[in-house]
Amino acid sequence: MSVKVSVILPVYNVSEYLRQCMDSIVGQTLKDIEIICVDDGSTDDSLEILKEYEAKDKRVKVIEQKNAGAGAARNNGLAIATGEYLSFLDSDDFFEPDMLEKAYEKGKSSNAQVVVFRSDQYREDLNEFVQVKWTLREKQIPPYRPMNCRSFTGNIFKVFVGWAWDKLFERKFVEENHLKFQQIRTSNDMLFVFSALAFAQRMEIVDLVLAHQRRNNPNSLSNTREKSWDCFHTALNALKDALTAHGNFWEFEQDYINYALHFSLWHLDTITGAKKEVLFNKLKNEWFAEFGIDSLPAERFYDKKEYAKYLKIKSNEFNAYYEE
Amino acid sequence: MAKVSIIIPTYNVEMYLVECMESVVNQTLKDIEIICINDGSTDGSLEILKSYAQKDDRIVLVDKENGGYGIGMNIGLDKATGEYIGIVEPDDFIPLNMYSDLYEKAVENDLDFIKADFYRFKRDSETEDMELVYNHLSPNKEDYNIVFNPSETPKAIRYIMNTWSGIYKRSFIEEFHIRHNETPGASFQDNGFWFQTFAYAKRGMIIDKPYYMNRRDNPNSSVHNKEKVYCMNVEYDHIRELLVRDKEVWERFRSMYWLKKYNNYMGTIKRIGEEYKREYVHRFSDEFKRGLELGELDESVFTKISWSNIQFITKDPNGFYMKKVATPVKVRRLTKKVEKLEKQNAKLQNDIKIIKGSRSYRLGWFMLTIPRKIKALFKGNK
Repeated sequence: MSVKVSVILPVYNVSEYLRQCMDSIVGQTLKDIEIICVDDGSTDDSLEILKEYEAKDKRVKVIEQKNAGAGAARNNGLAIATGEYLSFLDSDDFFEPDMLEKAYEKGKSSNAQVVVFRSDQYREDLNEFVQVKWTLREKQIPPYRPMNCRSFTGNIFKVFVGWAWDKLFERKFVEENHLKFQQIRTSNDMLFVFSALAFAQRMEIVDLVLAHQRRNNPNSLSNTREKSWDCFHTALNALKDALTAHGNFWEFEQDYINYALHFSLWHLDTITGAKKEVLFNKLKNEWFAEFGIDSLPAERFYDKKEYAKYLKIKSNEFNAYYEE
Repeated sequence: MAKVSIIIPTYNVEMYLVECMESVVNQTLKDIEIICINDGSTDGSLEILKSYAQKDDRIVLVDKENGGYGIGMNIGLDKATGEYIGIVEPDDFIPLNMYSDLYEKAVENDLDFIKADFYRFKRDSETEDMELVYNHLSPNKEDYNIVFNPSETPKAIRYIMNTWSGIYKRSFIEEFHIRHNETPGASFQDNGFWFQTFAYAKRGMIIDKPYYMNRRDNPNSSVHNKEKVYCMNVEYDHIRELLVRDKEVWERFRSMYWLKKYNNYMGTIKRIGEEYKREYVHRFSDEFKRGLELGELDESVFTKISWSNIQFITKDPNGFYMKKVATPVKVRRLTKKVEKLEKQNAKLQNDIKIIKGSRSYRLGWFMLTIPRKIKALFKGNK
């Protein structure tokens, strides 16, 4: 059997959700797949659950690593993957049964290196699904094919989102471009995803909701971001280096700076606790300059509100900024 | 080594192919190589090419499955061994001295490419009368007959775009590996070829003597195909891709890129069916908005009218569509009315013919006319 898709699933202490996730993967209508589960040193019974699936289904392979984060786990999975395409899923999410079939067929028929599909959020606290339109901005995507990021009519880092699980990546393309996940606590997939989007010659989309992202899980990493408040800075710098090494950072620089501002402001707005002030001062005194925001002329900013916020941060102290 | 390799990418042109081949095999320049690529024709084109290939060992015939213009042309470029390369479309033809004249000038001046003025023609299928239009590559006399450096003269991109009115030095084409876009189903791949030859050539020349005969009466040529709505956009994405490989090349040519893109998109609006036009205007608008956002357009290369069109279409695509593109409802209604009346008129004319031809009409005519004439005779006598 030739493996059409390798699913790579980092697992860390998610026993509560893992069965639902695994069931929706082994039950995919696309059968020619391999499921590489990377246990990241779980301390609950996640590993046992995975072994159970491995015993029942030959397509499941479980590998173990000492706790090193999802980035390292994905790289370890990637290293042994044999499928034509790669799918990097998260172990607390769940998926439509035809997700891989739909995405694979689309990719295969158009020889695409990246396939993007839609997703929504499953709000556990509300027990309902919430539409998320901004993960795929179809108005900025051309009505013709082939397409790559240069045919987008908006910031190339905002047409899709910088996470990996709503996309399929051609393995040959990933290997040729030496794409790797970063070993950082959060934003570890941004470098991988945005490099792929910037380098791909042919992309495709499936305009259907095929995955459901679980939200309001108190253990989810995004809810404990205070511990990793500076990861996005590491990720943005690595992205700049990767684009520079590829020879076309100059081409995407304006989009990059706009995205860096957007991402910085989102982090500042959503982080809680003592690190908020630390982040505020870092941005104001170092990172805005480092990202190129300080030196971009005013008329080159796409979002005037974000630009106004930036000016306000630059001219205020932390306490004054948050008064009003 | 042949002096010129002539590439003829062929697809379903049996009506015109003999005239084309005769004009190529009988060139006064004898030391040539003729590469005919049959791109999976379903008419008699392949047989015509075969019969020529049997008689003339300068002909290299490649028969392949249909894959589109770009792939066919690239196979031709890969196969070519001559010092220079020329392209002839199989529904066109050339005067017998074209390649000897161009080759002589090219060698004399060590040119990467040379291009000549040309004719567009239509031929009446019944009377064989030919309607000829002389096309100047440039409106400026001083651009002609001098060696110039195209890679440092971005405005030369404005010369009338075609790839077949001249020849290219093969070592130059190979040095920069200049090829066509191979996307299946694509069109207008000569745009990309044109941009590359101008962006990389160091020694070019245009001459104000017309040679090439470009047919404009073939209903199958792609400019009349309304289905391929976004082919031009695909080609311009491809050209951008090629130019941005080198930051300096892109910086030098980007204003011309946007100018050519504008002109071609305006042409596309005219070419495509009414039902696609609104959608097309929106995509046009989004692409140019993005270009402005990135600061890539240069006002100074556009005419005043073009620049105001760009302002209009990027700010208000719906308004642009209604005012500049859509046929107004009033005109559409009147056109329909005229068509309807014309049909009615034709039918009535036909009815009249039938009635006039009938026996009872003719009998009635006699019965009425003869007595009237007799009456008139009497009246005249009074």
